[in-house]
Amino acid sequence: MATLQLFTLTLGKTAPILLACMGGLLSERTGVINFALEGMMLMGAFFAVWLTFLSGSPWIGLLGGAAGGILIGLMHSLICLRFRANQIVSSIALNLLAAGVSGMLLNEVFQVYGTSPSVEKLPTLNQFGIERLPVLGDTLSVCAGELSVLVPVAIVLSLALIAFFKWSVWGLHLRACGENPLAAKAAGLSVNRIRWLAISAGGALAGIGGAYLSIGELSGFVEQMTQGRGYLAIAALILGCWRPSGILLATLFFGLSGAVSEWLAVRWTDLPYQLFLVFPYLVCLAVLLFQVGKKQPPSALGRL
Amino acid sequence: MESKLSPLLAMVPALMVGILFCMILAFLLDIESRELLVAIWTGAWGGANEAATTLSKATPLLLTGLAVSVAYQAGLLNIGGEGQLTLGALAAATFALFAAGLPWPLLMPLTVLAGALVGALWALPAIWLRSSRGIHEVVSTLLLNYVAIYLADYLVRGPLGDGTAMARTAEIPSASVWPTWWNLGTLGVTAAPLFAVLLSCGFHLWRYQTCWGYEATACGSNPLAARSAGIPVGRWQTRNFLVSGALAGLAGALEVVAVHHRFYAAFSPGYGFDGITVAFLVNSVPGWAWLSSLLLASLRSADKWLQISLGISPNTIIVLQAVLLISVACQAGFRLSHVFGRSNLLARLYRYSNQIER
Repeated sequence: MATLQLFTLTLGKTAPILLACMGGLLSERTGVINFALEGMMLMGAFFAVWLTFLSGSPWIGLLGGAAGGILIGLMHSLICLRFRANQIVSSIALNLLAAGVSGMLLNEVFQVYGTSPSVEKLPTLNQFGIERLPVLGDTLSVCAGELSVLVPVAIVLSLALIAFFKWSVWGLHLRACGENPLAAKAAGLSVNRIRWLAISAGGALAGIGGAYLSIGELSGFVEQMTQGRGYLAIAALILGCWRPSGILLATLFFGLSGAVSEWLAVRWTDLPYQLFLVFPYLVCLAVLLFQVGKKQPPSALGRL
Repeated sequence: MESKLSPLLAMVPALMVGILFCMILAFLLDIESRELLVAIWTGAWGGANEAATTLSKATPLLLTGLAVSVAYQAGLLNIGGEGQLTLGALAAATFALFAAGLPWPLLMPLTVLAGALVGALWALPAIWLRSSRGIHEVVSTLLLNYVAIYLADYLVRGPLGDGTAMARTAEIPSASVWPTWWNLGTLGVTAAPLFAVLLSCGFHLWRYQTCWGYEATACGSNPLAARSAGIPVGRWQTRNFLVSGALAGLAGALEVVAVHHRFYAAFSPGYGFDGITVAFLVNSVPGWAWLSSLLLASLRSADKWLQISLGISPNTIIVLQAVLLISVACQAGFRLSHVFGRSNLLARLYRYSNQIER
């Protein structure tokens, strides 16, 4: 039973990091550093709540979350590709902007500070009717029924991303922009267009990751609710060696460490609670320290 | 080629964009734009008390700004100012409490040094991870921030707290407190702002007038050329990064000895991240950082007033800061031909080779 609980928790913790990490992967494989994942997630989380509040449907809220991420992605590509700003500084500024704008809008729209009023959540797998699935239905509904529908969506998307990078021509184009933009340009690709498309698509993914936090897991927006998950996603990107299959494993590992810390926090109550809050970050640092395999970022990363 | 006034020239367009942003915001919020700007001014410099608050807020901002610019000089970005500042403040408060028996001429400087030392220690893992494992320092410092904040939170609620439920340490002995040096309003200003300005002047001279400063700058502007000229790039980067951590720790220590006289949970209201804006607003030239730190301190101390007088969320100030940072970052490559015309990718690759490498 304990294993089952841990498994469910792990999947729930993995989904937002995985979504954000895929967004980062799309952007960094085209050669643009993207540390703005945190901001994209935060914007996505807020927009999801806002649009759910306005429309009453969490599905429209989900679209809104994607739009929030795309917004930050478009700004990042405008700043980096048009104005050639330092990509890291731009990311940091956008994280700051997202934190400020989400707090400001929270005050303007809902007239509250800190926490938004509660809105409707996305359905869980049980509510979605997973037990009607032919073979595995009953087992899944017991194991993972309480998870949001976004969890399988995230995993399917990540498998699709593996296929996209491996077999599609667009994936090849995208990688070419990151490895050798000059050659890509000579081959007739529009490097900048591919880059901004990839950054925006990545923004949408990270925004959905944020929406998972606000309307999938909770049912409202809390200021600074991403809590550094965007940074964990960047670490997962490094740990996964900038490969779609690598990041799936890396984010699953981070999800596991988050789940373990939450699981232990309930049992070992005599230990300081801060230890459990900090555990995922410590694990992340330790893993980066002992990473095996080559860390080869896309060779044109950070250069325009 | 680089003019002495270029940092100012970089700041002016950013300020104009900032004011434009204020006007748009005022239009959206349906208040007069003049009213918004006046409210920011009144909140920051409206009276003696406000001016004293602004000056004391400028001190940590100047120091964290210096921290970012010293690291950036060697081509590194220190985003861990937040964690280094928090732990530096905690270390200073703890040292002052435990070494309370020392005479004040020893206690006062040692307290500040303890903060700086711990700040540098907290920067050490990040630079070590970079030099031996090739992990980008932005990632590791960001993660270390969380570790530092939770660690300080645990320590101040547990072993180092004063036993009350307030999550703070006891008040530090008066021998280690910096006395009020200038009676401005009811609060007064200590010598800390002056100390920070002198420190920034020292760093300015070091950077532009000495051989070592030149070597360190060369590591930032072109590491390959610096290496082939025989400059130990890795060693300079390590040194500058540690100094950067020490400056952030110093900012925290000065906050403790000059302003709060104790450490409490959630100590820094984001001074570490503001340091990035402070440094980049003036092109990371240490000698001008006082100007940008005053600007940011004014914005920071105006946020409460904005909430009281106009009912605007204090988050507006964060947005304004981000707008300033973005507009100053964009100037690096701002040419009208880039906005309206097509430019050559080859030329770009070589012109912007100073983008940060992994």
